[in-house]
Amino acid sequence: MTFEADARAALSDVQLRGALRQAATLFAEKRRAAMATAPDWEGARDRARAIKDETLLHLDRYLEQFTANAERAGARTHWARDDAEACEIIGRIADQRGARTIVKSKSMATEEIHLNTALAGRGIEPIETDLGEYIIQLAGETPSHIVAPAIHKTRGQIAALFAEKLGIAPSDDAAALTAAARQALRRRFAEADLGISGVNFAVAETGTILILENEGNARLTTSLPHTHIALMGIEKVIPRFADLEVFLQLLPRSGTGQVLTAYQSLLTGVKRHPDDEGPDELHIVLLDNGRSRMLRAPVTRQSLACIRCGACLNVCPVYRQIGGHAYGSVYPGPIGAILTPQLIGIERAAHLPYASSLCGACRDVCPVKIDIPAVLLHLRAEAIAQRAGTSRFFERRAFRAYAAVMARPRLYEWVMRVARALHFTPPLRAWTKWRDLRPLAPRSFREEWRAGLGRETDPWSPL
Amino acid sequence: MTSPTFADAARDQILGSIRAHLAASASPAPVPPVPRPLSPPDGASNLLDRFTSQLEAVGAQWTLVRGEVEAARALRRILADAGAKRVAGSDATLVARLLPERLTDLSRDELFSCDAGVTTAQWGIAETGTLVLESARERSRLASLVPPVHVALLSTGAIVASLGDALARLDVASHAITLITGPSRTSDIELTLVVGVHGPQTVHVLLLEEGE
Repeated sequence: MTFEADARAALSDVQLRGALRQAATLFAEKRRAAMATAPDWEGARDRARAIKDETLLHLDRYLEQFTANAERAGARTHWARDDAEACEIIGRIADQRGARTIVKSKSMATEEIHLNTALAGRGIEPIETDLGEYIIQLAGETPSHIVAPAIHKTRGQIAALFAEKLGIAPSDDAAALTAAARQALRRRFAEADLGISGVNFAVAETGTILILENEGNARLTTSLPHTHIALMGIEKVIPRFADLEVFLQLLPRSGTGQVLTAYQSLLTGVKRHPDDEGPDELHIVLLDNGRSRMLRAPVTRQSLACIRCGACLNVCPVYRQIGGHAYGSVYPGPIGAILTPQLIGIERAAHLPYASSLCGACRDVCPVKIDIPAVLLHLRAEAIAQRAGTSRFFERRAFRAYAAVMARPRLYEWVMRVARALHFTPPLRAWTKWRDLRPLAPRSFREEWRAGLGRETDPWSPL
Repeated sequence: MTSPTFADAARDQILGSIRAHLAASASPAPVPPVPRPLSPPDGASNLLDRFTSQLEAVGAQWTLVRGEVEAARALRRILADAGAKRVAGSDATLVARLLPERLTDLSRDELFSCDAGVTTAQWGIAETGTLVLESARERSRLASLVPPVHVALLSTGAIVASLGDALARLDVASHAITLITGPSRTSDIELTLVVGVHGPQTVHVLLLEEGE
């Protein structure tokens, strides 16, 4: 299916659109209230972006510093050039440890490399333990939102799913459904021998990884099993421990509208003494998978400043109507529209930079001030540059003619008068297939104005 | 096992790619470190008020006591009210003094059958109502997480104003530092808030004022 067809299917899904509207409104309200509690919101955004820019310009140095300090504290670090290599590294560790039960906390990077599919190929599929991820894993689906993965499912659907898969009595109560998931997952936590997590921030100065969450499943995943594997994109590193303050002010407020999420785990290597609590082994897998390429120019580099809060999804007029699945991309919404084409290649995701009205709402809410519309335009230019042949030739001519008319008021007026007289419909079948084109008005605005429109409703005239 | 040369090849290639792509763009001046705004000078009572009002805002409970005798009594009452019979304790000496019968060195299965966990917290953060637990100071990681009720003992003198103040004081010799703000929570089912999904449903902070 094409993006347009998927989007049209989503648009006719009344239940989905209701859920999306409710979610977007709630997240936006909570975000505004949480923002107001920050001591200096704009200052924090500027500082966070400056820290990210500084880090990215010296990314090689900060990664070397991070891995050296993490290793000194007892972690093992691994480098993965692409998704297959990352899956291979993680799969091999699981095999070597003879892992039978793998528990996993929420991580977009593991979705990006399709880790569960790769591990299922080795006969050891991890159990998703974040409630939203657990629901969609049971349903055999994929996340539709970065922060709220099961936002597209109703309580009734989840009740039916749990009744079928967990054998519980059907219940319409969110608390009862949550309790059933807790019970089912506790059994898995009790026997788990390997835990897999993502990473929100990695501190170069100390070798620390930081994981934010609300449920406690990431704490269980990273403290109960003997082995912990953390997968991080190479852009997650920040220079100093003190830099965490500004990011901890921005991420929860932007993501869930909380002043702080319930838990932050700051993990530096492994336990120092056999009697200490926590895993014996910590493996940190650093993933490139197209990221280093984005460093080549400031316009693309800024995509790597993203802290995966999901705020741009909640305000996007496109995401709010179609939801995450229609994008056909692991990372949905505005941030997905710029990340995915850069990660997997514009030729495989040429539709994504167009899944936007360029309104700029995403740029306005972004806690690290990524100019998403600028990146979208850059990627559209790349998508067109890739296309060869006659369509490109005619498109260029057509736009040149359009520009010539639009730049000359007299010519524009004459062309439009002719078009109206002839009831002309422009030959834009491909464009109008998914959009409405309003017919031309019988009289132009200028004609109305000259006929007295301005005098009747002159806003400047004194009462 | 990964042969070292194979692993080094991936590392060298990624770092090489980073350097090559960065070389294409000019390097601007490094970002000057921005001094963190100093927290307003707060009286101790003001910090305590802010901390306890934030605890309430995030759904945690609190009790203020003076001295260990009163603390021990309050702790027993909190545990009795929660109906907790099997209580896991951290290895802190304060926990041992207040509750000698607490269970320690539990296996994973034993821990999962406990009704409550008692630990101390090293710091409290007033602006967010957050508890800070450091592994270098105490084995509190699992007792604060697995049982459905967590009681945390915190000295009122260990409350700091802001997250930044706490980060500056943390003992980074800890392999695990945990920040806890209220009970475990989720909104994954139709955005309905439910507390106590994987971690504790109840967080009770027992605040100890110094002296008699």
